[in-house]
Amino acid sequence: MPAANSIDEPILTVKDLNISFVSKYRDDRQVIRNVGFEIRPGEFVGLLGESGSGKSTLGNAILNLLTPTARVTSGELLYRGRNLFTIPAEDLRILRWSEISTVFQSSMASLNPVMTVRAQMEDVFAAHRGASGAKREMTVEKSLDLVSIDHKYLDFYPHQLSGGMKQRVALAMSVLLSPDLIVFDEPTTGLDVVVQKSILSRLKTLQESMKFAVLFISHDLGTVMEMADRVMIMYAGEVVENSPAADALSGVAHPYTIGLLGSYADPRDAEINIRYIPGRPPSLDSVPVGCAFADRCGLATQECREPKIPTAEIDSPAGHRSIKCVLFGSETSDPLPAPTIFDEVGQQIDVHHAALGAGEVVCRVEDLNKTYSTRKGLKHTENHAVIGVGFELRKGSVTALVGQSGSGKTTIGRILTGVEKPSSGTVTVAGVDVGSLKRRTLRNYRSKVQLIFQDPFQALNPASSVGYAISRPLVNHRKLRGSEVREEVDRILGQVGLTPPSEYRDRLPHELSGGQRQRVVIARALAAQPEIIVADEPISMLDVSIRAEILQVLNELTRSNGIAMLYITHDLLSARLIADEILVLHEGKIVETGSTNQVLTQTRHDYTKLLLSSIPNPWQSRRNVPSIPAASSTSARA
Amino acid sequence: MLYFLRKTGLFVLTLWAAVTLNFLIPRLQPGDPAEAIVQKLAGQAQQVDPEQIRAIRLMLGVPDTSLWNQYWDYLNALVHGNFGLSYGYFPYSVTHMIAEALPYTLTLVGVTQIIAFVAGTGLGAWAAWRRNTKIDSFISLGSTFLSTLPFFWIALMLIYVLANTLHWFPEGGAYSGEIVPAFSSGFVADLAYHAVLPALALLITGSIGWILGMRNNMVQSLGSDYTRLAVAKGLKERRVAWTYAARIALLPNFTGFAISLGGVFGGTLIVEQIFSYPGMGKLMYDAIGNRDFPLLQAIFLITTVAVLLANFLADVLVGVLDPRVRRQSS
Ligand SMILES: Nc1ncnc2c1ncn2[C@@H]1O[C@H](COP(=O)(O)OP(=O)(O)OP(=O)(O)O)[C@@H](O)[C@H]1O
Ligand code: SF4
Ligand SMILES: [Mg+2]
Repeated sequence: MPAANSIDEPILTVKDLNISFVSKYRDDRQVIRNVGFEIRPGEFVGLLGESGSGKSTLGNAILNLLTPTARVTSGELLYRGRNLFTIPAEDLRILRWSEISTVFQSSMASLNPVMTVRAQMEDVFAAHRGASGAKREMTVEKSLDLVSIDHKYLDFYPHQLSGGMKQRVALAMSVLLSPDLIVFDEPTTGLDVVVQKSILSRLKTLQESMKFAVLFISHDLGTVMEMADRVMIMYAGEVVENSPAADALSGVAHPYTIGLLGSYADPRDAEINIRYIPGRPPSLDSVPVGCAFADRCGLATQECREPKIPTAEIDSPAGHRSIKCVLFGSETSDPLPAPTIFDEVGQQIDVHHAALGAGEVVCRVEDLNKTYSTRKGLKHTENHAVIGVGFELRKGSVTALVGQSGSGKTTIGRILTGVEKPSSGTVTVAGVDVGSLKRRTLRNYRSKVQLIFQDPFQALNPASSVGYAISRPLVNHRKLRGSEVREEVDRILGQVGLTPPSEYRDRLPHELSGGQRQRVVIARALAAQPEIIVADEPISMLDVSIRAEILQVLNELTRSNGIAMLYITHDLLSARLIADEILVLHEGKIVETGSTNQVLTQTRHDYTKLLLSSIPNPWQSRRNVPSIPAASSTSARA
Repeated sequence: MLYFLRKTGLFVLTLWAAVTLNFLIPRLQPGDPAEAIVQKLAGQAQQVDPEQIRAIRLMLGVPDTSLWNQYWDYLNALVHGNFGLSYGYFPYSVTHMIAEALPYTLTLVGVTQIIAFVAGTGLGAWAAWRRNTKIDSFISLGSTFLSTLPFFWIALMLIYVLANTLHWFPEGGAYSGEIVPAFSSGFVADLAYHAVLPALALLITGSIGWILGMRNNMVQSLGSDYTRLAVAKGLKERRVAWTYAARIALLPNFTGFAISLGGVFGGTLIVEQIFSYPGMGKLMYDAIGNRDFPLLQAIFLITTVAVLLANFLADVLVGVLDPRVRRQSS
């Protein structure tokens, strides 16, 4: 434990760090640019940024785990005054885990698959025999108690544990030697919201009792803002803002911070205002001169294109802020600009105003059941994936199917698209029972019901061009020929916002960004002129700013083309933005239905309440923190 | 546990199927099976030697009894290691001929295979551990280069340089003519002396596959999250390299190794041919030349059984080493 007088001494100091990836085949890419910050004992620091902004690289640098192709071109990394890049290897080894430990993303892959949990934990003690007595008080059993895992799991292998349990084991392992700093890299990505919530609250209690400092890397804004004392926002390899969380939320912050926060809202709120930042981060091969964010920033001026953007150092009641933006702390103006200037940052998205019951019914699902039976040796087990589910889909309206993973959402989607047969019950589309369809008619049916998957990277054939992918349904289902096909492809590309079509028609999937790929998947689904679209978590793999954009496209297209959509998700905010009606699914049963607003604001069922309470709400949990920072001193640093 | 039971069951079943097929196939042909076999081996135009037909008949058993009885006799003979008489080495029995050749192959090829595997895997692991250094480049480029050379060329070069030019080792044979084969120290030393060149050839070519395979697997497992976490845990280098990276990288190689060991029983035709080594490969080569059907049949059976057995042992071994495999089928 840190001594009382060292409370204000940072345990970790990063100074002017630059990291490049070198490659024989192309120019070096600088992925970390002039990053400097400090972490104090017991502090909970969040690191936020879009995919590819360099968060993991920075985390790995702190752990000294960079891959051999990464070069630290300049800068220092001081842990209690010792430079981790230059200390002798054996000193570094001893310092590892006893001072700085880590939990990786998805411990699926970070636990050794052929060793028991116990063996992997005891390895730590074996490697650190010399650690001081205080550090040896912890035992493997005690650490498991801390994360509420039964001791019997010590003798299990990783693959015998669920994802959430593995993550808890990883958390228990990280505190074995009572380190002073733990680096978390997306520790709950891929886990269920409810599981995620329980792990994070466990982390928070552990941190409060053991007093270690945390660097928490995530792209999940709500979580970071709720948990962290201080947040750092990364953009294109730079830390553009480093502020106490309350200040970052105050409405006066770096335009990128404002933009990121704009895409976040609490689905329970009566009025929702969502904004997103159009465009994508610059390629790291050619970061523009001046502010890297300038191309997407609505507030950019000529000044922002000057080579050196100063970093404003501002003291606020909650602590110290560093903001790299010309709007802050220039010598001639107030350190903080007026909050109103940020009103125009980002682009507003239309929040759909849910209207229940409009439009004719195109699909009726009645008393649907699906039971999977598995046979293991002599044991016969039945898994009731879907139990007595019934609902209707209407023309031009969106129905959200919401539930935890494993609740049966995807099974219902698969039955609807005719990929899977129900055990009992009916799905009626245009007067025909889908379960009774045979080969030919089923093929026809499938063109009427299109599926959009979670992963746009797997949904497209890597070897065929965008134009070809979209033309397939036109030729197969709609029997278009020749120039008709071409015109229709262009029209659909325009509809999903890939304009001009000539620029996208001949591209291959790998030449597109994630958001563009998902647009192509949507275009392909539209090409078949479907009556129903089943969208299974269509935005969950995308970055926040792209999410809003794709939701927008889906929203407009279903309504203008009179398509009925079943929107499958675990994310209640996105359901709020697009759906007219919500069905809450729990263990195969629908436990609550109603119009979107009704389900979210006048929630009746406990399970829906649990789902809602698992959503982080930084604004609410910080309500008592003063939100208007009064600047006391300022200085500008080039 | 279930995993091992299942694998054992599967092994017994395939073994039985192989043995039975070996019995059935020659008998399923229309007409007199013995005549048909000899005709096939001799070629259509040639005159068939009645002696040959008699030998095959002997091997197949008395044709007049029922198929069931023949099958029973066949199994009985198998259990007693009785494969009939060799036609090519009449009046020696097939079993005698195999017993003569097998020890040579087993020691030469078997031992070199094991050494090649251990050395190759070790070198591959070392190269991966020191990846992107000079050691790595030397090992991987060197073995990639050697892997492009045909085996016979390497063998002939060894003979040319070490035997013909430097006269350090004999050109071929398993032992010197003057020594009487016996279990004396002199004979064993002589055997080893003769085995050096073929063993060297086998070692060079045999280990390359393991080097490259192990290096690739290990580079992957070194980059994996569990290895990186092991480093972050502050484990000693050795522990990270062996218990985390190498152990998992090794698993896929084990199966390949066990199967290659099974192949040893068939001998290696080329190496025994080049070094005139009196092992199973040479025996098989001669058996084909002599149209020695009983001998061929026995060699094929032994090879099949050995490969099956090796596969089975590989499954068991991997099951012991990798808990994920055990779990999948239980
Ligand atoms: N081994 C590598 N070799 C070359 N470039 C790399 C390597 N690892 C990462 N990069 C590049 O470095 C940049 C930063 O990557 P990093 O993994 O740090 O991003 P991130 O912010 O963690 O993203 P995510 O949210 O997707 O995890 C990216 O442009 C990435 O393509
Ligand atoms: S420096 Fe200019 S472009 Fe960059 S964020 Fe600030 S205002 Fe926008
Ligand atoms: Mg990352």
